[in-house]
Amino acid sequence: MTLPFLRLTSITKQYRGRGGIRNVSLDVCAGESVVVLGPSGSGKTTMLRVIAGLERPDAGEIWLDGRRVAGPRRIEVPANERRIGLVFQDLALWPHLTVRGNVDFAASSSGLARADRDARIEEILRLCRVDRALVDRYPHQLSGGEQQRVALARALVGSPRLLLLDEPFSGLDRELRGALRAELAALRHHLRLTAVSVTHDPDDAEALGDRRITFS
Amino acid sequence: MWGLRSSRTVVVVGAAVVFVIVCVLPLLYMLSSAVATLRDAVSDGALLDSRQRRLLSNTMLLGAGTAALATVVGATLGFALARIALPFKAAVRIALAAPAVLPPYVVALAWVYLDGGFAYTLGGAIAALTVVFYPLSMLATEVALRRIEPRLEEAALIMTTPARVLRRITLPLAAPSVMSAALVIFVLAISEFSVPGLLRVPVFTTEVFTAFAALYDFGRATMLAIPLLVVSIVVASVAAMLVGGRLIATRRGVRGAPLEAFDAWRTAIVVVIVLWLFAAVVLPVTALAREAGRSVSVLAVVRDSGDAIVNSLSLALAGASAVTMLGVCVGYARARARATVGAVLDACWIVLFTVPSTVVGIGLIGIWNRPALGDVYGSSAMLVLGYLARFAPVAALVVAATVRSVPESHEEAAAAAGAGWLRTMGRVVLPQIRIGLLAVWVIAFILAFGEIGTSILVAPPGESTLPIRVYTLTANAPPGHVAALALFQSLVVLCPLIMLGLIALTRESR
Repeated sequence: MTLPFLRLTSITKQYRGRGGIRNVSLDVCAGESVVVLGPSGSGKTTMLRVIAGLERPDAGEIWLDGRRVAGPRRIEVPANERRIGLVFQDLALWPHLTVRGNVDFAASSSGLARADRDARIEEILRLCRVDRALVDRYPHQLSGGEQQRVALARALVGSPRLLLLDEPFSGLDRELRGALRAELAALRHHLRLTAVSVTHDPDDAEALGDRRITFS
Repeated sequence: MWGLRSSRTVVVVGAAVVFVIVCVLPLLYMLSSAVATLRDAVSDGALLDSRQRRLLSNTMLLGAGTAALATVVGATLGFALARIALPFKAAVRIALAAPAVLPPYVVALAWVYLDGGFAYTLGGAIAALTVVFYPLSMLATEVALRRIEPRLEEAALIMTTPARVLRRITLPLAAPSVMSAALVIFVLAISEFSVPGLLRVPVFTTEVFTAFAALYDFGRATMLAIPLLVVSIVVASVAAMLVGGRLIATRRGVRGAPLEAFDAWRTAIVVVIVLWLFAAVVLPVTALAREAGRSVSVLAVVRDSGDAIVNSLSLALAGASAVTMLGVCVGYARARARATVGAVLDACWIVLFTVPSTVVGIGLIGIWNRPALGDVYGSSAMLVLGYLARFAPVAALVVAATVRSVPESHEEAAAAAGAGWLRTMGRVVLPQIRIGLLAVWVIAFILAFGEIGTSILVAPPGESTLPIRVYTLTANAPPGHVAALALFQSLVVLCPLIMLGLIALTRESR
């Protein structure tokens, strides 16, 4: 029997005095997009952070592409070696770097040769519909939708094996939300991405995933 | 909200007038004297003669060397405190900050006892001042890193190694604060009088003191103060422009947490911290204790200096109270001022805080040494004025940062309920910042208790504080005698720090 691309088995991660997740199991096949739907505080973000390798699970195991990347209280493959793209809820664009600087840092970190890097950055900015006129601007000089596109471009430029999206459309107005949902869905199909998204918005969940899981 | 006729106007305007008289006028006096002296000095060619150039070179080397070393040590430790999950972090932070409360000349004395040969060099002075000033860089770095949203580093950690994240993301984001702290350390180092004085390293501050106190040449003292004053004001202004009031920050609103990715460095960092604590705290205190043990009786030595000790304690108590009260009034005004006004005030206060102590002393003498003010000039009040001139600006900065953590809506709610400003301050604002005010008072007490550069110039004849006594005894008393007094002084300033630490530990464990 072949393993799914991503497997979480009985993952528990609790914070002192705060929430977390308890005994979560999840299988995600290659190319599949799973959406986790749930209210604030239900542990959705914690799950993404554990998958990304930013937190070690208290219990359980995480398997990625047939390799165990984390076990109980142990990170076996560090975050930067998992080849995962993550779009944070607040986007976490680096304020001291321009749009190009943000994307270039991710591209160079992924091991792309310098000769190929510029072409790859151009390609991903085009795919994510980032206006060329914006590449030398800093994050605070961009609109919310533009920042969202840059964050997505940064997450995708290293050709990640898995894309994680944390409330990707929070803080955007309804119109922009609708447009970005459609763009992201098209992009996901185009790149055949395996993705795990978390959201509290049922409309986002509808647009983002092939399969929905609900946290309570 | 509060009308012009409210008690707030009276208090704030009154405090502002006192602040200008005590803190700003001495500086303005020195600047105006400098202009007059500068003309004569330029015409005599005395401004930058070979001796002056040597002084300038020594002063710059002392400042740059101290700033560089203190930043390397302080930024490393600040990073560890902000980003690595260390055991007993509150206690570690306080232990690492301890050298900052020791009077600089006490640290220098300890270095003399440890290795007299090296201590009496420019390198020795740099080493002693590094130990005194690195906590400033450490705390500024920690606060800066805690202000950085950890997700910015996490976004990079999923792409690259922790070392590269530190180099490309963490450090550039914290750079303005680290750089600004380095500049402030530079200014404080070149403004320091007691360490180069004790270690016989000729720099501007020691020359100013010699010209004034030994040669009674007020004009030459003023002329020697000019380069020091200009460099201090320029560098402190740059530091203030870089970060402004953010150099001082309260723990409220500070979010950053340790990141697991940096945990791999924990063992190495713990080793560094232990070694550094040994070198910067344990070794100097042990050296003082060992030397003090050679005196006939530590208690007898302390008893012999009873008058100076009582004087120091009572003046430091009065000074700290006055500094805190003035700091509360002007700090509150800054906290509630418009952003642009606040930024200008922050910059001015940072500049005022970094004015060299000997320059402040001469400025105070210039202002207060008048027949009509003889009652003040000839009394201990001059020492309290000296403490106010030196430390009220930094107290105001800290109070302003603390008051800003109390939302203005709290005052609005009290006003809507019918309370006046004084009642609102007493019942709503001050109770919320009482720990911060206690910290300001303790810091002011510690600084006043160890103050020497201004005190030694403005103290009336026959009036001696403990720092003045220790400093003068170094020339003609047995080392054990001096060490005993220095050790006593260290214990007095370390006790409030330990109390603050206990409060912090209690709050943290809640």
